[in-house]
Amino acid sequence: MVDVNKLREKAKEVVSRDDVRMLIGYRPGTYGFRARPAFVQGPDEVDELIFTPACVNNLASYIVLEEKLPVPRGEEPDLRKVAVMVKGCDSRALVQQMEEKAYDRERILVLGIPCTGVVDMAKVEARFPNVLERGEIALEGDKFVLSTGGGKEEVAKEELLADKCLRCRYPTPLVYDELLDAEVARFADDDYSDIVELEKRAGAEKWAYWEEKFSRCIRCYSCRNVCPMCYCEDCVLERLNPQWMRRSVDVSENTAYHISRAYHLAGRCIQCGECQRVCPVDIPLMELNRKFYKDVEELYDYEPGTNAENPPLLSTFKVDDREDFIL
Amino acid sequence: MAVKKLSKEKVGDALSELSKFRLIAPAKSDEVVVFKQISDPAEAFLDYGNSTVPPKKFAFPQTETLFRFMRGSSELTEKNVEEEGTTVIFGLRPCDARAMAIVDKLFAWDYEDPYYLKRRELTTLVGMACVEPPSVNCFCTSLGGSPFGSEGLDVLLTDMGDYYLVQALTDKGKKLEETLSSQLGEAPADDEKKAEGMAKEAEGKIRRSINTEGIPEKLPTLWDSELWKKVSAACLGCGICTFLCPTCHCFDIQDETEETGEGRRCRMWDSCMFREYTLHASGHNPRPTRKERTRNRVNHKYSYYPNRFEVIACVGCGRCINLCPVNIDILDILNQVVDA
Repeated sequence: MVDVNKLREKAKEVVSRDDVRMLIGYRPGTYGFRARPAFVQGPDEVDELIFTPACVNNLASYIVLEEKLPVPRGEEPDLRKVAVMVKGCDSRALVQQMEEKAYDRERILVLGIPCTGVVDMAKVEARFPNVLERGEIALEGDKFVLSTGGGKEEVAKEELLADKCLRCRYPTPLVYDELLDAEVARFADDDYSDIVELEKRAGAEKWAYWEEKFSRCIRCYSCRNVCPMCYCEDCVLERLNPQWMRRSVDVSENTAYHISRAYHLAGRCIQCGECQRVCPVDIPLMELNRKFYKDVEELYDYEPGTNAENPPLLSTFKVDDREDFIL
Repeated sequence: MAVKKLSKEKVGDALSELSKFRLIAPAKSDEVVVFKQISDPAEAFLDYGNSTVPPKKFAFPQTETLFRFMRGSSELTEKNVEEEGTTVIFGLRPCDARAMAIVDKLFAWDYEDPYYLKRRELTTLVGMACVEPPSVNCFCTSLGGSPFGSEGLDVLLTDMGDYYLVQALTDKGKKLEETLSSQLGEAPADDEKKAEGMAKEAEGKIRRSINTEGIPEKLPTLWDSELWKKVSAACLGCGICTFLCPTCHCFDIQDETEETGEGRRCRMWDSCMFREYTLHASGHNPRPTRKERTRNRVNHKYSYYPNRFEVIACVGCGRCINLCPVNIDILDILNQVVDA
């Protein structure tokens, strides 16, 4: 666990630097066990920063989310660095963004957090419903300790752990300027057993399964917006002429949307799982992304977001690339 | 006329009777509670907190065809809402019904929206009182609502244990009672009094609140305040808060055409949190960043709407708080507005 005092001290040092514009970290949420992103501009704001297993958000998304407004005449663009706190999985988003040359490495300052796993807030809130007063979650050994003013509860780690953490291959960030704690050794692996199960289903069964899910999609685009790899300035969804994707909401258009998004993430998704976490209607989007992830690993022995020197998979060609699966 | 009751054993029969209309009820899609048209009473899931998506789409569909056309022809086939027929929304929460009453004001304002108003006219709302508040983030009582609120409803059901107390509130509600005459019984004489007590108790269980006094007047003075940048910094610009809001009612109108030349003009929900919202053809957008969009969302609900229609366009259902991926909390924003 990252020592919070050390974290704040480091944050203070970082945001005091002349070449740093702000630091993106975490602070306690407005109620219950939630945590939320924090945007720290000056040394007097660092005291709200935390890192706990409640810090689920992938903050790498904010690096590419910020609007690039035209610089007013006579003014210089602000080229100072943005500092960002990342867990292992989140760091892979930075690596992949840099693989794709979304920005220069010098534009960011990375504070790496070796991560022992975060909670699934839905599991927490199902287990402890209707908690209004602010609570804290800490990991002690193999238990999460959840405390509020009213007392403490211990829960076995695996009961509240986010699914992605049960398969995490990279708990220690793969890119960082400073690591805020000792490295965490790999404590899990991914055997794709969930995807293997899905692959076994017959076509009609798969279709019925996804039809139910896609039929309740409201096209809020939270899956796209939260995604650290969805940063096209001109998204295909918003194009009106030609209109590649209709805005009308029905199971057919919704399916087209989700399939397109999954394809656009093939060889790019780094499995932070944010799309599935934020979906208000619980569409298991990671099943689509993980299917592609598995295919990409099997076909090309490639894992996105693991090496910034790699060229992006789908924009490269090698003569010995496998092609036996191409129709 | 005595007050009625519907025993829980007869709910299935009552829903069967009502399925001769377009019957909308809460139902499960996997573990997610959504409102949908049901034909089999067994699909209805009445033992729920609140639906993830409000039932507003049955008054204001997410996608609605206004008319169909054919390339090269000047003939239009207009939508006839009448064809959708009489609709009963069964088991919605008082906040969501109140939201419809609030949105009615907009659609019946300077331009009377024929589609929306016709659909509302054809729809009977059968509410289900919140004996327990569905969410920790419920704050309906701060906005003039109540867990037992009747505004917008035609019938209010209250769970009394073995049966629902059935209170018809409007002529439409009385008509619905007549439709169900063979399923309804007479409620015990003191039930209405008992329900009043339950309502008070339920109000006491609402844990979040905001004093809205002065907010509609104060918001315009904070136009250039630093607070908007602060409260919107974490915003992802997705449509969760607006699409799940029972009072949000912005729409876009687009044409969808097929290669055959057939096409339709439809209107669809839009969200002020989207980057193409109010994007001009020139490329200019008066709300270029999440800051201006967040400011618009709060101002629309808590300033523009009450200044025009004398009611805040928020019913305190708590959905935008519960489901915001980054914990942007409208009560947190409003508290900052009050303190600013």
